[in-house]
Amino acid sequence: MPTMTLIQAINAALDEEMKRDERVMLLGEDVGRRGGVFLATEGLQQKYGPDRVMDTPLSEAAIIGAAVGLAAHGMRPVAEIQFADYVFPGIDQLFSQAAKLRYRSGGQFSAPMVVRMPTGGGVKGGHHHSQSPEAHFAHTAGLKVIVVSTPYDAKGLLKAAIRDDDPVVFMEPKRLYRAVKEEVPTDEFLLPIGKAAVRRQGRDITLVSYGGSMVETLKAAEEMVAAGLEPEVIDLRTVMPWDKETVLSSAAKTGRLLVISEAPRTASIASEVAATVSEELFDQLLAPPLRVTGFDTPYPLAQDKLYMPTVTRILNAAKRLLDY
Amino acid sequence: MVQEKVRFQPFSSEPIRLVDEQGRWIAPFEHGLPPEQLRRFYRDMLAARLLDEKLVILIRTGKTSFIAPHAGHEAAQVGIAHALRKGHDWLFPYYRDMGLVLALGVPLVEIFGQTLGNAADPAKARQMPSHPGSKALNVFTVCSAIASHIPPATGAALSMKLRRTGQVAVCTFGDGATSEGDWHAGLNFAAVQQAPAVFVCENNRYAISVNISKQTASENIAIKAQAYGIPGYYVDGLDVLASYFVMQEAIERARAGEGPSLVELVVHRFGAHSSADDDSRYRSREELATERQQDPLPRYQRFLEQQGLWDAQWANELRLEISKALEAALQEALQAGEPDPLEMFDDVYAARPWHLEEQRRLLAEELQS
Repeated sequence: MPTMTLIQAINAALDEEMKRDERVMLLGEDVGRRGGVFLATEGLQQKYGPDRVMDTPLSEAAIIGAAVGLAAHGMRPVAEIQFADYVFPGIDQLFSQAAKLRYRSGGQFSAPMVVRMPTGGGVKGGHHHSQSPEAHFAHTAGLKVIVVSTPYDAKGLLKAAIRDDDPVVFMEPKRLYRAVKEEVPTDEFLLPIGKAAVRRQGRDITLVSYGGSMVETLKAAEEMVAAGLEPEVIDLRTVMPWDKETVLSSAAKTGRLLVISEAPRTASIASEVAATVSEELFDQLLAPPLRVTGFDTPYPLAQDKLYMPTVTRILNAAKRLLDY
Repeated sequence: MVQEKVRFQPFSSEPIRLVDEQGRWIAPFEHGLPPEQLRRFYRDMLAARLLDEKLVILIRTGKTSFIAPHAGHEAAQVGIAHALRKGHDWLFPYYRDMGLVLALGVPLVEIFGQTLGNAADPAKARQMPSHPGSKALNVFTVCSAIASHIPPATGAALSMKLRRTGQVAVCTFGDGATSEGDWHAGLNFAAVQQAPAVFVCENNRYAISVNISKQTASENIAIKAQAYGIPGYYVDGLDVLASYFVMQEAIERARAGEGPSLVELVVHRFGAHSSADDDSRYRSREELATERQQDPLPRYQRFLEQQGLWDAQWANELRLEISKALEAALQEALQAGEPDPLEMFDDVYAARPWHLEEQRRLLAEELQS
């Protein structure tokens, strides 16, 4: 089994799906000749031609909006937005058109499409190359939202997203693109959308995270293990719809929930998970659920590493839960 | 039918017009249309007008919550409907296109169901009235967000091109839409890809209250096409035959692989913007009276008279027949009843995720108690 980086896994997933289904096509800025600014689509235009790997004008509204029409007409478009921070000119297309097409037509039309985008901080990108806008998408009925953290998941979930009958926002933490390699099967495999992964089993505390923050979450878990604790670590992978069952059963077991995400705190996915666990497990918890998140500021450049949840901040919050 | 010759020049300084105010055919070519088709244009324009009058009654009697009157747009809308291949080409309409979707064949019962917001609406009464759609007829369900349907029309046209389906995407909008960024994004991308799309502005010169002079400094809408490297046709949209022939040429040009175009059909808006608007606040009654003198229906009647195709008895019977059909469809739609409240949770996704199951259960329990 070959080892792959996250970006290679994305490329492999796109390649396999394009080979399998000729309705699958890619469109976006620089995705063709250049193979994408992060090289996610490298080599695919040479293989499938300029019509199926289409360089578009510099317009997120055109990219996402055209994907809606392509999908409604029967194609399976995968749109690339160069950075999640630049999705906003295309938001009317994503929210008013893609997300609501099935609903507003009473099920007559639908937009089975994927919008891929690099997300998150840690690359010294300042506030317009570092944001984590997944809560905006999750707040919009009709969209599914995936945030991956491993090469294996990236391949299995992207393939599933392309085959899904609903519009899927597929977010790729850019700081993880080349951070790790792991074994990824070349055989056909799909991962279920909406299913979390338990990265480590334990009984003392439940750490829930996803995307880029999985790195610090797993490091914090290692330190806890070194200190003689047994944390359970859950990677949500899909944030809409998120895997309530897995989170609840873990929190019920440990009695302590800590949710970690680098997205801003207020009205976040972390808040939603914490609120749901509070509502459903109030009398089984040993401490109130806590959140460790990005701050409610624009994403700063100089404080790149401090803005995101640090291992120290995660450990401090865990200590509060354990000492409660 | 592929056009053998190009009849119309883009970017004319005066609107393209084939029938003058007196109803005379003034074009340098024969129209070549059989009498039944010429009469059909009148029938569809009359049906559109009578539908509009019926919708006004529904709003005045409190049976519906909203309408966007289309009176004054009939010649343009019927011209568009007849120029595209029904059920083959796709239409991306906007909210003032009830006359257009009727002429295209959307059943009256569905139109009234959508207007009443009840179970007769095939889209399950999820949107305001004046937002029709039909999968069966390739009518992309109207979205309120102005110009947001332009990039999807470009996308559908791209799919038609890539898969060589021989279809064309026709996309309509008002003059206000041309100021939106998505309008530019959609036209630009379609032009770059030479996608088989025709973008059609039903220019009534008012975006609610804002006059065209505050919308654009361009000489007209059609001229904007020059910026995209595609033809723009400036057309008298009160002339059904001009609307039809120009649309047909633009559509067949797109079908032949020669790329998109922009067609501006200059019309009048005889009503207010919508039932929630009072146009006397911003538009003089004198201006409106002058526009009503240019009503597209009497003008086309004069054309039929000159062609020897007008028969007062036929016209009276036609009016009676359409009125009866409207009333029968309305009565049928009124019988449909309210949609199931729990349908609220359907069609958000292809299948309901757990959170919608939970919320659906919550409402079901409340309804049972």
